[in-house]
Amino acid sequence: MEPGQGELSPAFPLAGECQEKVEEGKAYSPDGVFAYLEMLEARAHKAAVKQEETEQQEEKLARLKARVEELRLQRDELRAKVDLQQKRQLGKEGGVSNPAQPSARAVLEWKIKSIKAMLEVFYLTGISGKLTKRGVCFCISTAYEGTYLDSYHLDLLTKPEVQIYRHSVPIFIPLQQIAKKYLQTDIRRFLSVLSDHLNAYAGRRYQADQLQEHFSDQIEGTLQRNSLCNLLVFNYKVPSKSKTFPFNVRLLYGDLCCSLPTEVVISCTPNAPASLAETAAAHSDLFRRVALHKVFRSFSSAVGNVDGAP
Amino acid sequence: MDETVAEYIRRTVLKIPRDEIKTMLQKWGFLSEAQLQTINFHQIKENISQEVVQLCEENSADIKQAAVLDIIYNHIYPNKRVWSVYQMNKTGEETEFFDLTDFKKKFKRRLRSALKNVTINFREYDDNAIWIRIAWGTPYTKPNQYKTSYVVYHSQTPYVFISASVLKSNMPLLCQALLVASNYCDIREMELRSHSLNSLKDIVFKRYSQNFQTYYPRPLQERNVAPESADIRIIQENKNEKERIQRLNREVFGDGPQPKLEFAQYKLETMFKSDPKMDVLDKREPFRCLVKFSSPHLLESLKSLAPAGMADAPLSPLLTCIPQKARNYFKIREKKGLFPGSFVSP
Repeated sequence: MEPGQGELSPAFPLAGECQEKVEEGKAYSPDGVFAYLEMLEARAHKAAVKQEETEQQEEKLARLKARVEELRLQRDELRAKVDLQQKRQLGKEGGVSNPAQPSARAVLEWKIKSIKAMLEVFYLTGISGKLTKRGVCFCISTAYEGTYLDSYHLDLLTKPEVQIYRHSVPIFIPLQQIAKKYLQTDIRRFLSVLSDHLNAYAGRRYQADQLQEHFSDQIEGTLQRNSLCNLLVFNYKVPSKSKTFPFNVRLLYGDLCCSLPTEVVISCTPNAPASLAETAAAHSDLFRRVALHKVFRSFSSAVGNVDGAP
Repeated sequence: MDETVAEYIRRTVLKIPRDEIKTMLQKWGFLSEAQLQTINFHQIKENISQEVVQLCEENSADIKQAAVLDIIYNHIYPNKRVWSVYQMNKTGEETEFFDLTDFKKKFKRRLRSALKNVTINFREYDDNAIWIRIAWGTPYTKPNQYKTSYVVYHSQTPYVFISASVLKSNMPLLCQALLVASNYCDIREMELRSHSLNSLKDIVFKRYSQNFQTYYPRPLQERNVAPESADIRIIQENKNEKERIQRLNREVFGDGPQPKLEFAQYKLETMFKSDPKMDVLDKREPFRCLVKFSSPHLLESLKSLAPAGMADAPLSPLLTCIPQKARNYFKIREKKGLFPGSFVSP
């Protein structure tokens, strides 16, 4: 089909002006098709621009409407506050006042506060639990003399019998032994014994860490310790200018539920003066009764005294 | 200084990345600060190692000190070796008083009584980890410093991490010495292997993140909430499904990073289930097949399977039980009994 001959049947209704152009195009045959296409393109572009404009207008409208809602809400809130204030004033002036109905918001706030307090209580007691789909999940929190330390979890299944599904208890705590003894028969005792073990371990570790952190200048090298922190061996000195560490101590924590040593062996290094033997004996008693880092703190404060006697 | 020691030190220094050489030598502590100042750490490693060897010559280094440098290197780069986990058992229930000096003495004595030609070195770290380096010889030859085994043991735990050398024949000896020193009765190899020592520790010491349900008021973690697309015309059709998958994923994998394993291997000894008419096999015998999943970080990739849409959530328990069962080698046999299916062998 030659361009310019035949009719270009419009695919969609054209505006009057465009119709003319098409007719015109037929007269100038070589440009006909291209001009037509150009015209279509321009039209489409215009339509798109117009559509975008209307959309933007709509969006703007929606935003403003939302803003209006917001402001209305604020206004209502403020009105409520003002009413409350007025009521309070009336009440203060001796009028018979109905206790203002606590607003829903106040009730919610009170509920949240009391739940938080409850959770705080659970945390403070050290053992808290939550029912799960298949049993209970316990959380044992440890602390030592006011400092909160790590928490450990136990996921227990209750059917067919009570068993430990998974846990985050350190591997060196004798969990299986304790479970074998008490888990089936007396869960409370099981939790209590486990909590004792964990708290004592946390306490021993805390003491050893404190010692290494704050009194490292009084200790020769690093402490020899182990995972359970139930055997500590080190050489130490009382604060003085001397560079030798005349005392050697071996602390044995025989009771895993206790954070004080059951056995203390202090000896003086071979080249230490004999006079220190007495001090060693005094220290031995101290280590048995007082927390490790506190013993060293007492050394520091007793520096003014003769021989560093406790 | 012995020729072999010099060569060993030279080769060890060459292994260290150039930027780390100075810090590692400082940790080693065998060369004084003044001596270290004389080394030019910006030249090529060949020359650095030569200078180090010369200084060690001045200080008359022996094999023990050279071995310490090797331990330090392996402690900082443990992932260059493959580690296996061994589990020990004991019958008694007395309280453990792990004494380090006692442990070292017993270990050395037991090992040396069986094989005189060994080099044994110990090094302790802050996290109660004891690193043992053993260079093996034979009854007739000196210890070969390039054929070393490494043992990492945390006191009062039943797990030992061993990176054996090529000579597997010395394993029984090593295991014996460990049992005697740590006061346990027997030892067996677990089906758990990886390059990442710390991840193995995380798995057996249960240090990885498990999602425990508690009432403890943790601060609400900012979950990765994808910003709502600015264009409100785009709607998430599968929002519920996506949330379900996220929830299941968190229940199974927890919130934190996963331990790093490189592969999981499943040995199938199950019957091939086919249409009887197809008659693929003449006899009814188990179809032996090995399925191996490999990845630079297997558990993270498993965790991202369901959210990426590549697998259905929940994932098969065979895949998700890996950290909890502390194994990445499985044998799956036919379940004998009423219910056909498969079960994982202990």
